[in-house]
Amino acid sequence: MTSAMPPRWAEILLHLVLDSKDQATVSGDLLEEFRDSIRPTRGPSAANGWYIRQVIGFVVRSNVVPALLFGGAFVARTAMDWLWPPANFHTRSLISTLVAVSILLVSGFFASWKSGSILAGGLSGLTTTALAAIMSTVSVLALLAIWHDAPTLQAIEDSGGLSEVFFLPLMSIVPGVLFGATGGVAGTAVHWSMRRSS
Amino acid sequence: MADVLGNFEQAVLLSVLRLGEDAYGRAIFNEVQARLDRDVAAGAVHATLNRLEGKRLLTSTLGPGTEVRAGRPRRYYKLSSPGARALHEARAAVNNLWRGFRGPLKGRV
Repeated sequence: MTSAMPPRWAEILLHLVLDSKDQATVSGDLLEEFRDSIRPTRGPSAANGWYIRQVIGFVVRSNVVPALLFGGAFVARTAMDWLWPPANFHTRSLISTLVAVSILLVSGFFASWKSGSILAGGLSGLTTTALAAIMSTVSVLALLAIWHDAPTLQAIEDSGGLSEVFFLPLMSIVPGVLFGATGGVAGTAVHWSMRRSS
Repeated sequence: MADVLGNFEQAVLLSVLRLGEDAYGRAIFNEVQARLDRDVAAGAVHATLNRLEGKRLLTSTLGPGTEVRAGRPRRYYKLSSPGARALHEARAAVNNLWRGFRGPLKGRV
């Protein structure tokens, strides 16, 4: 038996994405497998890699729904701007911004409500926007492969150009962390008030 | 009619059934991997256990931790009556699909 520990930061990430009732049991399961089976057979660095991959799986899994919603909203907005360009972008921008902020606030709230940590909200915002950036980049490339006639290319230019389409999802990562953490403040408050009352 | 089970859900429920008193997170994770003969993500097994417990096909209780787990507790799972019924129906559905089929598969796969 070994007393070796996996990377501390990975254990912290794991705790942030788990329901508070599962934190000790699931991290115990992974630690037991890490010490009993993975490290003795694969060696220290491969075992750390295994542990990190498992944690990334938990992180992605816990944010896949808000990421799909966030990325889907961005792609839908992009497709609308390309195919049905409006005279004035103000209303669309306002609606899509409100939708994006709401998704981040709500996912941050639930992440922190589950785990009991404000950091979980920030992590949720980070993961949601990062996954959505990957998803929207791939989707926009697919849209471009389908629609690249002259009127559509003109509509793309009029709506801010291709650079905006590819950079906006990346630029939303920092605000995503902030909005996720803001939702997380409320989620943490509800988590602890519910625990106190029970 | 009981819940319709996916393949992975069946693998998890059968692992819980096979492990009996020893059905806790890590053991189920290893049993599922052995039975499916491939690597699976611990997160996928955990999410499935939570979902099955939410559907009341499984129940769980906490057990004591051990030294190798740094004292962290184990969560033991047990098949509930609706869980057993759902597994039985899943097996009956597969048996029903194959009933009466006698043609050779050799050379077709």
